[in-house]
Amino acid sequence: MRQLLNGNEAAAHAARLARVEVLASYPITPAAPVMEKITQFIAEGSLKCNFVRVESDHSALAAALGATMAGARSFLITNSQGLAYMSEVLYHVSGLRQPVVMAVVNRALAAPHSRFPEHGDVVAQEACGWVQLFCENNQEVLDSLLQAFRLGEDERVRLPVMVNYEGYIQSHTRETVDLPEQEAVANFLPLVRRPVLDVNNPLAVNTVTGPELYIDYKYQQDAALQRAGEVLQEVSTAYAGLTGRDWGGPVTGYRLEDAAIVLVAMGSLVSTARIAVDALRAVGEKAGLLKVRLFRPFPAAAVRESLRAAEAVVALDKNIVYGAGGALARELRAGLYGLATMPVYSYILGLGGRDVGVEDLTSIYRQVREQLGAGTTPAPYQWYGL
Amino acid sequence: MELINSLADVPETELFTGGHGGCRGCGAALAVRQAMKALGPRTIITIPASCMATIGGSGLSTAWEIPFYHSLFECAPAVASGIRAALDIQGIKDVNVVSWAGDAGTADIGFQSLTGAAERQENIIHVCYDNETYMNTGGQAGSITPYLAVTPDTPGGKPTPRKDMLAIMAAHHPAYLATASVAYPLDLIQKFQKAGEIQGFRYIHILAPCFKGWGIREDQTVQLARLAVECGLWQLYEEIDGRRRVTVIPERRIPVREYLRLQGRFKTMDEAAIAALQAEVDRRFQEVQS
Ligand code: SF4
Repeated sequence: MRQLLNGNEAAAHAARLARVEVLASYPITPAAPVMEKITQFIAEGSLKCNFVRVESDHSALAAALGATMAGARSFLITNSQGLAYMSEVLYHVSGLRQPVVMAVVNRALAAPHSRFPEHGDVVAQEACGWVQLFCENNQEVLDSLLQAFRLGEDERVRLPVMVNYEGYIQSHTRETVDLPEQEAVANFLPLVRRPVLDVNNPLAVNTVTGPELYIDYKYQQDAALQRAGEVLQEVSTAYAGLTGRDWGGPVTGYRLEDAAIVLVAMGSLVSTARIAVDALRAVGEKAGLLKVRLFRPFPAAAVRESLRAAEAVVALDKNIVYGAGGALARELRAGLYGLATMPVYSYILGLGGRDVGVEDLTSIYRQVREQLGAGTTPAPYQWYGL
Repeated sequence: MELINSLADVPETELFTGGHGGCRGCGAALAVRQAMKALGPRTIITIPASCMATIGGSGLSTAWEIPFYHSLFECAPAVASGIRAALDIQGIKDVNVVSWAGDAGTADIGFQSLTGAAERQENIIHVCYDNETYMNTGGQAGSITPYLAVTPDTPGGKPTPRKDMLAIMAAHHPAYLATASVAYPLDLIQKFQKAGEIQGFRYIHILAPCFKGWGIREDQTVQLARLAVECGLWQLYEEIDGRRRVTVIPERRIPVREYLRLQGRFKTMDEAAIAALQAEVDRRFQEVQS
């Protein structure tokens, strides 16, 4: 069924279709409407779910964790300050291998205070051990959330998943979204209970762990996160069998075959970049695009494979790791290390909601082509559009 | 419900077993052991950072016979809320969900999630085992550490009075609220029995001395817990629907001086301060009488 939905509504419908059983969230702009929509579903009886009306984001994730450990499918929404406030709980959820799914409606972190989008909030949580997926449009928000439950709950993975989309650009903008049938989703996503806190099988969870065991747990956790990258491909294929929509695995290339200069982006910029690539191709430029869907685990091998034939790579980062540059650029450089001839140009742009349009990206492309032609070494990173 | 009326009738099964990592004479371990007699095996417990969180399990061994989760410091009541929500959706009705925190996890760093859960009238039991100091990190002062108690970070005695956590919790209108002491096990067990029967948010605050923090001998834990009641600084009562009932009227009353002078932590407290405290206790006692 096709409906005109904004990103927040798409996320709420995904939660309904996934038959989430516990919702624990604290209102934050611009994510709060997801919570309102789900509580509406609960009130009208289209979703059987317990809403825990917590007093903070920290407690929201704590409650979702408790619920998942007690055997329920749990969901929540946050972004920005709320995500930062959850930080220590994020580590508990991943360290305990609990498949909580969370929609993150990306928004800049203060100070200065901003209500507008960028990826800085989630990049700040890059080390927390969650699978991190980015969505390009509202259909992908819905589809990725459904895939996130299956991915996180997969026996080989058992990890929490964040599904990222941008505040306002996606959360408050309507697009046509195709909603799969409930029954089809139920087949794709059966409810399997694996309670950790179970009176019939009592376990002590998170006991004090000494050096003789801690690092081994961490190794297993990291191995599971790496496996998530492989399982995502499977999950995407299975989902495509259900809906005909295949979002690919960790990365997707666009017009890469003979591309000389490849733009690399995550989130809403991908759509803009796709149009920019078409525009550049129309005037004879050998432009290409690599969409990074999976930020954690970072799919270095897939990136390397996709970019093998390119002459240069342009990382478009809607985030800044202060003093270090863009997170995507850093990952690309690390992933491409050894492909000696492949310069990585790094642009910081669109922070705090600063508009980035097709012309901006074509102009960046031209700047890069000139620098490439002149043989100058790329700067560690540069700011665009100040 | 039939209340356990004598210690002889207390079930022998231990749900918090021997071999835990607490100090000898730990008041907190006593409190848990007694409470578990009433709560029974169909209980899920979450305990935030504290002595109790660490002494019940280490590495691959545990003293718990029930599901136990060592949660983050701020959020045991929120975790418990989530557990309850999950059990409800699965139709599991006969399980006690307990968040069990020390004084920091209750009154300080954990206060936000506690007040949230209490306001929502979550169907959980929150327990504060109160040793009046942060023993897990060596005994620093917190907001319910008593006035003038010496701790490593209040070497001259804590300069401000203890905040009235019981009044704060009573202001949340819990379904059940009670104080308890490890020196009165029957009273404690009966309160947990009642709490287990009642639906809604329940709060139990236990005075659980810590010999290290209090500057007493490890065999004096129970004695001091009793003297606290006998001198009137710790009253044993319960509140249902806001109506208070004193559950233990001590057979003798002693001056607070007797209780305070046994403890190293009140060594800097002068006679004038003791007299002032005595006057306050007497005034409170008068109120209860009238
Ligand atoms: S330090 Fe005190 S509270 Fe902690 S285990 Fe020892 S006696 Fe118990």
